[in-house]
Amino acid sequence: MTTIENAGRVGRRLSRILLMLPYAIQHPGVTVGELARKFGVPKREVMEDLQLVFLCGLPGYGPGDLIDVWFDDDRVEVRMADYFAAPLRLTPSEALILYAGAEALVQLPGLEGADSLRGATEKLRRALGAGGVGVRVEHSPEAHLDALRDALEERRRVHLEYLSASRGSMTDRDVDPWGLVAALGRWYLVGFDHLSGEERMFRVDRIKSVSARDAVVEVPDDFDPERYRGAFVGDETQEHVTFEISPAAARWFEDYYPVATSAELDDGWRRVTLLSSGTRWAATLLLRLGADVRKVEPEAVMQEARTLAEEIARRAQEQAQQG
Amino acid sequence: MRRIERLINLIAALLDTPRPMTAEEIRERIAGYDQPTHEAFRRAFERDKDSLRSMGIPIELRSTGAAGDLPDGYIIPKEKYYLPDLDLLPDELAALKLAAEAVLGGAGLAESGLMKLSIDAPSVEWSGPRVVWGTDVAAEQPVLGPLYSAVLDRTPIEFSYETADGASSRRVLEPYGLVHRGGHWYIVGRDAERDALRSFKVSRIRGRPTTLEGTYEIPEGFDPAERFAGEAWAIGDSDATAVTVRFDPSVRWWAEQNLDRDRTRDGPTGALDVDVDVVNEDAFISWLLGFGADVEVVAPDELRARVRDHLAPFTS
Repeated sequence: MTTIENAGRVGRRLSRILLMLPYAIQHPGVTVGELARKFGVPKREVMEDLQLVFLCGLPGYGPGDLIDVWFDDDRVEVRMADYFAAPLRLTPSEALILYAGAEALVQLPGLEGADSLRGATEKLRRALGAGGVGVRVEHSPEAHLDALRDALEERRRVHLEYLSASRGSMTDRDVDPWGLVAALGRWYLVGFDHLSGEERMFRVDRIKSVSARDAVVEVPDDFDPERYRGAFVGDETQEHVTFEISPAAARWFEDYYPVATSAELDDGWRRVTLLSSGTRWAATLLLRLGADVRKVEPEAVMQEARTLAEEIARRAQEQAQQG
Repeated sequence: MRRIERLINLIAALLDTPRPMTAEEIRERIAGYDQPTHEAFRRAFERDKDSLRSMGIPIELRSTGAAGDLPDGYIIPKEKYYLPDLDLLPDELAALKLAAEAVLGGAGLAESGLMKLSIDAPSVEWSGPRVVWGTDVAAEQPVLGPLYSAVLDRTPIEFSYETADGASSRRVLEPYGLVHRGGHWYIVGRDAERDALRSFKVSRIRGRPTTLEGTYEIPEGFDPAERFAGEAWAIGDSDATAVTVRFDPSVRWWAEQNLDRDRTRDGPTGALDVDVDVVNEDAFISWLLGFGADVEVVAPDELRARVRDHLAPFTS
């Protein structure tokens, strides 16, 4: 019996074949290697797909009805399959992600090629049906994005005044900008931080000022923004923090924070471990959780949270006396 | 014969056929439907139809056009299967490629979508420097596809929704649009049972939504994003509380740079006071404490007391 899981596997393979066929038909003589690269699968799988197609065709299933696949050394030609010469329309998920990705990018002020991108999304919008597409992607329109974009385009080092969540204070630092990343509704700058001597991420809304330096920046060849997914924590060295959170907090916590491990306890609380960037950052997180957190390790984080809470309480009292 | 071969044969036949094929014709003529009993054939065919539809392949039941007693038949309408020509210019395709490459996650959907759009185009590259390296639009949630289909097709849906306090309920919605804000997707539409506009966080929808009969119209000029205020503490169904917060001189610039300037005024000794409307007090306290001791509530007193209570586990 086919389970749901392997129906999913069949579905993925079928989707790939329904795209590979039009591609091969439109590019006669394409090599198996090119197809493998284009579709991100090993050559062996491309061969298996083509050998499979070769057994399919139209009712009758005689020589004139079956799909023809010719191999000439490494080169491939697909014939007798005009009905597969054009691809299937975009699925809603494909349309949504392309549209959302383009929408996010277009919000960057002064992006080179923004007009072309708007033209493309407009055509996508029309193709998807009447009445617009009903998708909005928002990233906060932050100050300094244009200055950072300029620096990136000119590949120049920048000096930042930056409010560090890890330290809870302003910092002055030189950064070699590698790229902007839009995530969690915000913009982040990724680059090499000369203050820490490491690769770091900066939340653009926490940048107070940007000034360009003369030094020229080289983006490393192996720079991969994918690495930063789900790891959007501050600008300090990372350390593991472990604590227990209440069932109420557990329902939203893992949506928002980079949880490394998580396990349910007998009383419904969860024990979570996450990568924190600095004691101060983790202490702030504890305060936000309030009574929904217990059993914190390391103890220094709890100590910092107490100190910070005392300071907040002291200030509130001062203000009450003044008022 | 493997199932995938049977599926390819089914798509080929229903795309190529000039008129709808009845179930009986499918059983007799398409390779792979040689099940021993009619019952077994129906099961296999139903399952295949579901699989293809879930991939976005439009199989339709239509009149065969024959006079007399032939039952309706199945066809894949060419105009619904094939990608229409979007007429994208080379620079538009290059820009779209740049956007697709920046998408983080998304299970290869941006790549496959882009490949469909550029299948007959020569390879294109954006020549300028790369400024944006990643956009995380969190679009790999499987439920987004069906929700978006419903918006495009104007199909009412029903789904199970878990609220923030853990309670679960069935909702019937006429979806008007999707909004990505603060890293999360929301679906906005008319809640048919409450006859009111509502928004739902997509990650709290349990399982797949079911589609209902009927259709609806989206009001002219409707903008899903207008249904929201900016921060998490401004979203919700309750009444708003007028709150004043004070930014310490050291972080005053942040408020000036990022909050609504019309609602700010100078506070004592270099501080900046800001008025905000708070709907969700828990979310607000969490946001406030993100600033450590540099931002505090000035009014109302009830909220000051709530902040104090919230911190009690740390100050005893």
